[in-house]
Amino acid sequence: MNHMEKKPMKKKTILVIEDERPLLAAINAGLEKNGFNVISARSVEEAFNADLEKDAMGAVTVRSIEQALMYIESLERVDAIWLDHHLLGEEDGLDFVKKFKANGGRWSAIPVFVVSNAASPKTIQSYLENGVDKYYVKSNHKLEDIIKDIEAVLEG
Amino acid sequence: MKEIGRGAAAVSKKKEEVYRKLGVVAEKLVITAKEKEEVRKKLIVTAKEKESVRRDLAASAKKLKIAYETLEAKVRERTKSLEMAAAKEKAILLSIGDGLIVTDENGVITIVNETAGEMFRGNGELIPGRGFDEAVPLENEKGALVPSSATKSAPMGLSYYYARKEAGRFPVSMMATPVLLSGKVIGAIRIFRDITYEREVDRAKTEFVSLASHQLRTPLSTVNWYTEMLLAGDAGELNGKQRKYLDEVYTSNQRMVELVNALLDVSSLELGTFVIDPQTVDVKKLAESVITEQMPQMSFKGMVFSFSCAEDVSFMRADPKLVRMVMQNILSNAIKYTPQGGKISMILSRANRKDILLRVTDTGYGIPENQKDKICKKFFRADNVRNKDTDGTGLGLYIVKSVIENAGGKMWFTSSTKAGESGTIFYAILPIGESA
Repeated sequence: MNHMEKKPMKKKTILVIEDERPLLAAINAGLEKNGFNVISARSVEEAFNADLEKDAMGAVTVRSIEQALMYIESLERVDAIWLDHHLLGEEDGLDFVKKFKANGGRWSAIPVFVVSNAASPKTIQSYLENGVDKYYVKSNHKLEDIIKDIEAVLEG
Repeated sequence: MKEIGRGAAAVSKKKEEVYRKLGVVAEKLVITAKEKEEVRKKLIVTAKEKESVRRDLAASAKKLKIAYETLEAKVRERTKSLEMAAAKEKAILLSIGDGLIVTDENGVITIVNETAGEMFRGNGELIPGRGFDEAVPLENEKGALVPSSATKSAPMGLSYYYARKEAGRFPVSMMATPVLLSGKVIGAIRIFRDITYEREVDRAKTEFVSLASHQLRTPLSTVNWYTEMLLAGDAGELNGKQRKYLDEVYTSNQRMVELVNALLDVSSLELGTFVIDPQTVDVKKLAESVITEQMPQMSFKGMVFSFSCAEDVSFMRADPKLVRMVMQNILSNAIKYTPQGGKISMILSRANRKDILLRVTDTGYGIPENQKDKICKKFFRADNVRNKDTDGTGLGLYIVKSVIENAGGKMWFTSSTKAGESGTIFYAILPIGESA
């Protein structure tokens, strides 16, 4: 390799878990514009099946999520997670964070950014106590500003 | 003859003697008779007196009898009314809708009303003669026992629960009041209510607000972000008109976002779920940051602004978000309701050892005298500014007043609408808090 050639910077991958289709599209567009690779999902169940080469797991049980996590660890590298609180299905963002952090391993160290319109102080407190990096109330922030924040955390 | 003479003389002498004696006797008899007469008279008088006394006694006896009968009747009447009053009071106490338990000075139960009995059905300890604390243990939120004190006359509005044998514990709103007689505590009255239903209603309201906020904010976020992307040219270059129209859309949307945020604040203030996060706040720095934020608007209106902060105003223990909100609201109102070229000043000083005084003065339109008491009501706008071009949620002052008063502070203002000297001064007392 020519020593003058720079190694291309690997694109960071963000897993976006958001239930609202139009918002999901806007977030994906914004992240891709800023150079991120995006995997998206609309439910906790889908998060562990999204865009990955795997058979569908069927109904979500504790055992299948654990299996999915183990499988995902070996397959795909995710650098950050963009998470909404209200999601499709029975489980919400907080359920995801608890399971995800409890799983330990590489995944528990991945920064989680909760971007949601649920603003109850109790909910926010629970997220912070469960180790998320930051909580944004969607309607109070520009999309670009949240993305720039995430970039800064990942570079730092 | 001599002997007869002598004999006659002796007889005569004897006769005389006898006569004399008879005279004495007669005299005596007369005296006796007189005495008798006097005695008789006296007897008559005595008898008369006796009769009079007898009559007086009879009259007095009659009066006494009447008085006695009257008194007896009054006592009967009084006893009856006291009995009725006591029966009424007892009936009221026993049938009062809230639970009522009366204890004596040793905390022993003396009265349990029907409602209390119903609430604690199955509790054989809740009867007169038993100790109250043992019969009805009081718990806090975490289930730890709380000693109930009957000597404080204050409603215990915190989260307390009474344990029940049959149905588990229930949340209770309770007031304990001492019963005083000549300054001495002779017992206590506890009135309490099962507030399970109120708690449920509050929980439902909080959940509704939370859901409503999410449902309102989601479309607002969508409009925000897509408008931002359009304005950034992500979907192609915009012409002047397109940009202008999108700017209007974006501004309007931002107003809706602020309104939803304000409505949520109002809701949580009224539900008591407003969260305060106390930190050490550098007051001067915070004020300067608020001013910097609002400076573009003041410059746009060509206003003259001055700020001063006293040397002894440094730190306070408060939620910085709330202090910022208070300063922001009062300052932005001053800017909004002052015409082009007006003057605004902000002064921070120590009101006393415990408080800081914030004073914001403007040369604006003023607040009409007959509307001064409405200015902090939700969505109120005074008549003299209705046709002025200002935006805002209409909730700012309501929220600011509630937040300040919740923190133990005070807010008030003076204002004039007199032409040439119109303007308003807003004052806010902000407690410095402990260990600032």
